[in-house]
Amino acid sequence: MTPETLLITVVAIPGALFLLLGLIWLIGGHLPEKTIARLTKIAYVVMTLMVVVLGWKMWQKGATSIHVNLGNWFTVAEYGFPLSFVVDHLSLPFVGITVILAGIVGSFSVRYLHRDPGFQRFFLLLHLFSFGALVIFTADSLDLLVGGWEIVGITSVLLIGFFQYRSEPVRNALRVFGTYRIADLNILIAVFLAHHWFGTASWSGMFTGEWPGHINNLNGSAATVIAVLLVFAASGKSAQGPFCGWLARAMEGPTPSSAVFYGAISVHAGAYLLLRVEPLIRSSAIATGLVIFIGITTAILSTLIHRTCADAKTSLAYASQTQLGIIFVEIGFGWTTLAIIHIVGHAMVRTMQFLRSPSMLHDYHRVHAAAGGHFEPTGDHYESLLPKSVQIMLYRIALGRGFYDALVDRFLIAPVVAFARLLSLAEPGWVKVSTSASSHPAEMPGALTQMITKSEPKA
Amino acid sequence: MAWWHALGLVVHYLMSTHAHNDSCGHSHAHDHPSDHHAHLRHLLEHASHYLPAQGPIGVFIHHNTLHAFQHLPFEQAVVEASQTFKTEPYLSEEAYQKERRRGRILDADIDDTLNREEDVEIIPGKLTRRQLRRVLLIPGVRRVNGRNIAWQIEEGELLTAFRPDLDATAARALASDSPAALWKVCTTRLQSEPPPPPKKPQRPRDAVLAVKDIDLDGIVNPPLIRLLGAYLDQGIAYWPMPLRELGLLKASRKIMAQSLSVYRAHLSRIGEELRAQAASDMSAEDTVTAMLKRLGVPEAEWEKFIIAELLGLPGWAGLLRCLEVDPTLAPHDRVSFSLMEFLALRLTYTVVALEDIMGDAKSWREITPRAKPHDPLTHQARLFDAAQLLGLSSTTLKELPISQFEKLCAELEKCHEVERRRLLHQAYERRHERQILIPLAKHRAMPRLETGTDRLAAQVIFCIDEREESLRRALEEVDPAIETYGAAGFFGCAIDYAGIDDAHGVSLCPVVVKPGHEVRETPKQDESHVDVKRQTLRRAWAKIMRNSSISTRTLVRGSLSTAFLGFFSLFPLALRVLRPLAYARLMKRLNDIFLPEPRTELTFMRDDDESRNATSGLMQGFSVQEMADRVASVLGPVGMHSAHASLVIVLGHGSTSLNNPFVSAYCCGACGGRSGAPNARVFALMANNPAVRERLRQKGILIPEDTWFVGGYHDTCNDNIDLYDLDLMPEDHLADLANVRESLNKARARSAHERTRRFELAGEGLSIEQGLHHVQERSEHLGEPRPEYGHCTNAVAIVGRRETTRGLFLDRRAFLISYDATKDLENKALAAVLGAVIPVCGGISLEYYFSTVDNEGYGCGTKLPHNITGLVGVMNGYQGDIRTGLPLQTVEIHEPVRILFVVETTPDRVLKTIHSSPLLTEFLENRWIRLAAMDPDTSAIQIYRGNGKWEPLEGDEEPLPVAASSIAYYSGKIEHLPVARIDPKLNRAA
Repeated sequence: MTPETLLITVVAIPGALFLLLGLIWLIGGHLPEKTIARLTKIAYVVMTLMVVVLGWKMWQKGATSIHVNLGNWFTVAEYGFPLSFVVDHLSLPFVGITVILAGIVGSFSVRYLHRDPGFQRFFLLLHLFSFGALVIFTADSLDLLVGGWEIVGITSVLLIGFFQYRSEPVRNALRVFGTYRIADLNILIAVFLAHHWFGTASWSGMFTGEWPGHINNLNGSAATVIAVLLVFAASGKSAQGPFCGWLARAMEGPTPSSAVFYGAISVHAGAYLLLRVEPLIRSSAIATGLVIFIGITTAILSTLIHRTCADAKTSLAYASQTQLGIIFVEIGFGWTTLAIIHIVGHAMVRTMQFLRSPSMLHDYHRVHAAAGGHFEPTGDHYESLLPKSVQIMLYRIALGRGFYDALVDRFLIAPVVAFARLLSLAEPGWVKVSTSASSHPAEMPGALTQMITKSEPKA
Repeated sequence: MAWWHALGLVVHYLMSTHAHNDSCGHSHAHDHPSDHHAHLRHLLEHASHYLPAQGPIGVFIHHNTLHAFQHLPFEQAVVEASQTFKTEPYLSEEAYQKERRRGRILDADIDDTLNREEDVEIIPGKLTRRQLRRVLLIPGVRRVNGRNIAWQIEEGELLTAFRPDLDATAARALASDSPAALWKVCTTRLQSEPPPPPKKPQRPRDAVLAVKDIDLDGIVNPPLIRLLGAYLDQGIAYWPMPLRELGLLKASRKIMAQSLSVYRAHLSRIGEELRAQAASDMSAEDTVTAMLKRLGVPEAEWEKFIIAELLGLPGWAGLLRCLEVDPTLAPHDRVSFSLMEFLALRLTYTVVALEDIMGDAKSWREITPRAKPHDPLTHQARLFDAAQLLGLSSTTLKELPISQFEKLCAELEKCHEVERRRLLHQAYERRHERQILIPLAKHRAMPRLETGTDRLAAQVIFCIDEREESLRRALEEVDPAIETYGAAGFFGCAIDYAGIDDAHGVSLCPVVVKPGHEVRETPKQDESHVDVKRQTLRRAWAKIMRNSSISTRTLVRGSLSTAFLGFFSLFPLALRVLRPLAYARLMKRLNDIFLPEPRTELTFMRDDDESRNATSGLMQGFSVQEMADRVASVLGPVGMHSAHASLVIVLGHGSTSLNNPFVSAYCCGACGGRSGAPNARVFALMANNPAVRERLRQKGILIPEDTWFVGGYHDTCNDNIDLYDLDLMPEDHLADLANVRESLNKARARSAHERTRRFELAGEGLSIEQGLHHVQERSEHLGEPRPEYGHCTNAVAIVGRRETTRGLFLDRRAFLISYDATKDLENKALAAVLGAVIPVCGGISLEYYFSTVDNEGYGCGTKLPHNITGLVGVMNGYQGDIRTGLPLQTVEIHEPVRILFVVETTPDRVLKTIHSSPLLTEFLENRWIRLAAMDPDTSAIQIYRGNGKWEPLEGDEEPLPVAASSIAYYSGKIEHLPVARIDPKLNRAA
């Protein structure tokens, strides 16, 4: 197989598996667990081998990148949505960790989710996620990347709400969904602006040369706007800066999905985006400063919160967030190779830790006994240097998770909800106007109004 | 003797938790504040009985989930509890009907159940209560739901055709009638039921939910969970909560009220409130009183209110309560635990949120909470359905005199859904009873399976655990000259034990007993250097592990270690997930090379009478007399008085698994949820001691000189068996030992293979070796939520001689307790045995029952989203309640029946013994357990029906299949299997 075919096949396999499982589900069929398990295992073994061969062939040829262009999905006037893929020195490690870690987690999940009623749904979403992640990492343009970006987002949300019969997971999934929407708005606007101002959103249009060392083609304040938007988009995926509150909420899903999304792959997608557009960010002092600022503040806040987390998964979530902050800083300073090494290492460690989190009692007590029944006390490094009152203040901030939720609830969500209620009060009047104009029967909008106002408090 | 004494303690402890149930409900005028406080503490004490009694999860003790209701008869208790906890009392009606359709419940069972209850006439000469109830159970009612009747009428087939499953008479009676006509009669004759009267809100949440659509728990619980999580944390958080030494309330006041805090919606005044409380230094009791007054709760309703509020977060409150009662349960950090402080905090948060939402804290009491939607048509639909089942046509129904019609409707209402489930459950248990007792009687009537030898090759004493049943049977199948026994798995030795690798001693005995004796494992003198090296290396390893797990999470160290070392996690990760057993074997080999274990001995002898450990107050080891008492307390009741085999093996048990916070529930309950290996080991050493044997002789237990005891360990998860102290064994036993080990090795593989029949993932047609491999892999798999099925199949406890059950395939469903009534004429041993096994086995059975019938309410739901918090419990997601009870994966194949005790003695003797203990009487007479007696001489079986009434077992509809081997019987089957007789002679004959 040529490297081009290999690349397309690797991306297509999980997509095809998703379609297969989805179609069977759609027509009311049900695959036995064994079949799903076998399909998954074979697929990921094949994908891993293909990625290895792909890397080897590239190395053999000395090629720094391989491009595949499948033409345009659609064209409108001058605009075409390009279906073109690339694998280069940046993509390859990301594609590598995706197939390896998703494969390992898939194998883990065969055991873990055995007999769960959502078994088929879980694997359906896992394959869709892998497909989305691979699209992100191999997309040759921002347009296509957005497709993968959204797929990863929606599968993430659906897996947080995996246990649909309980209200907490669904509520938290919705919250994460909302956060993603706001963050993703940035990337969508960035794509529009790139096309609008520069007529391109493909890597080859935005940059000249191969990664790393490619040169930025976009200039001026327009480029800064796009760069800043992309930084915010990346922050959303990687739970940084203004979007740093959702990662703990994502722990509602089953353990393996926590591992593959929030330990391994999904959270690093934001960092990937920054790495990909790194020259664009570097060209703007504002964007560069923003990345570093977001990274440092998130890392410091997260490590503070992490220190006080008393449960296995939240602790891991904030630990991940801390490292992602550092990775942002590394990218901000232009240490791209270090950032990639850090991402790969971090993904491996965190996946392992997430998968081991249900075994925590076992692990802790084994080490505790081996240590002679006594651990050296922790948490008195920096803490003990501070005056007691400051310590308690910091502890309070950490226990309040940086007051992120309180602030967002009270100063962002509450005003929006209040405004929406105001609108819904005004709605009957508008409905009357619009119905008298179009002579539609008024029942439907009326019922709709009723539905909307139903959840309102009756004061 | 200490063993009897220990039992006394058990009983005393269990009784003390109920003693309060009868003495409450009075309130006095309290003038003095300390009286107030005492009164409040008293109320809280009562209220706390309703909380789950589950302590830190590292020690999981099975107990009756409804311990607060144990003073009531079972059937009343499950219904009352279902109202208090909003849970299910029985399986769903559909589940029982499904069991009926597949033949697990027979019509005869339902008839028998109905015949045991009072009958009344409804329509003279035509219809009685029994007849009515019978058709409501066979074929069963159609589910009607008030909300979908209109749809059923307009879109469904409710009025187009009668039910298709009517019996012939009913169908004939309705032949000329039409559903529409019948429906019309039902709707015209039956007055619509008025909606139920509105209830008062139990607590503010109900009221706020009704008028504001805001869930108060959603506001109050999250900050409390975080506070409690941090406060109770035993070592997960890197930075432990400061000010913990002040207690929960004071620490929270100080921390939460920090000036820069931003509070969540509706809690903005909490800081102010907490500061005010701190300023006036209000005690927890004062705070609770003040808040109750602010909430406008009259003093007479305090207890009810407190119960309702505590049940808003039952897991955490219950955990706190357990730690308050016994702070030593906290594995590492013992801070002060006080439920009162938690209640004070909770009420403060509730008041603040309530005032913010409603404007004041009292008006909530005047609000009517939302009632369940009421649909008057439901009654008509029930009558309509019953009329069809009874074959009452529209004309008959129309012409029914008013008194009879009303009686019919009243009877119909009386046989509501829960009542039908109760009846079905009775029938369900009756069939189970017959499936056990009839084959047992048949087996007894058949010729005994001979051991075929004058002297047994070996005697093996196991724990009574039902999971050992398959191993015992396999062992006797492998070598018929081996006989097995069952005794409570701590083997009479309540010890505080530390092995060479343990830092501290732990109690190895039933949880309600405090061990008085200390036993320590030490390296043999000539091997102490090996131990020194081992411990040094282990310390170093621990340091590396500890540092690596911390340093991957912090800021600076984390960046370095994840960036530069992180990649290497890939190899263990891949190996552990893809090839878990290979990884485990690799680790074991590395351990053997780098961490060789020294040969060890136990220090358990004490020469003088009164030497105690100065700090712990524990006796160091046992005196000769104490040892003899302990050995006698096991060998006596078991019936091993003389003529022992040359080898007696004593096997403790435990369980090893990963991905399993509940591992303690799978270990030995008699050893406090830990491994019973040290108990078995020390027991064997005691029994080998010549001085002890001398004393035993005086007690009538004659151990031959050439008999040698060996202690060992059986792992119920990976089915490994280890034997200890073989180097002490006299040489002339070595040949016997080799034979027995060979048999044990074969038997454990067979038993493992038998276990795999239950595991879907194991696949079919495994060889014995593959079966063993499969269970071993389970125990090492990081992602395996069912390392073993635990006590999932428990259903029966047989107290009697092995010869009553030898050769019976009991499908790992029976606790087997060895007891020989012919050698216990005074019933002393019986009292000891029942005193231990009824609470223990009953507790296991009831915990499984409740976790099965309502897995979300009584159990802890599916394991998959569980998140370990504070090393003390699991919660769902990132901030939820502590989940108590058993997970879905543990109970999924359980048949929820109350345990059936079959005691091999006369009815009089067993009843007299039980009635002499109030606790056992409560278990039995309130029907939390079932009981049958089997006469040791005649083998006649009598079944206990309560109030001193016995009933002989009659009928023989249940067969006793005979198979040549266990494997031949169970092969290819995954479901529960009926009792069978395994007779190896069949094979030889064929």
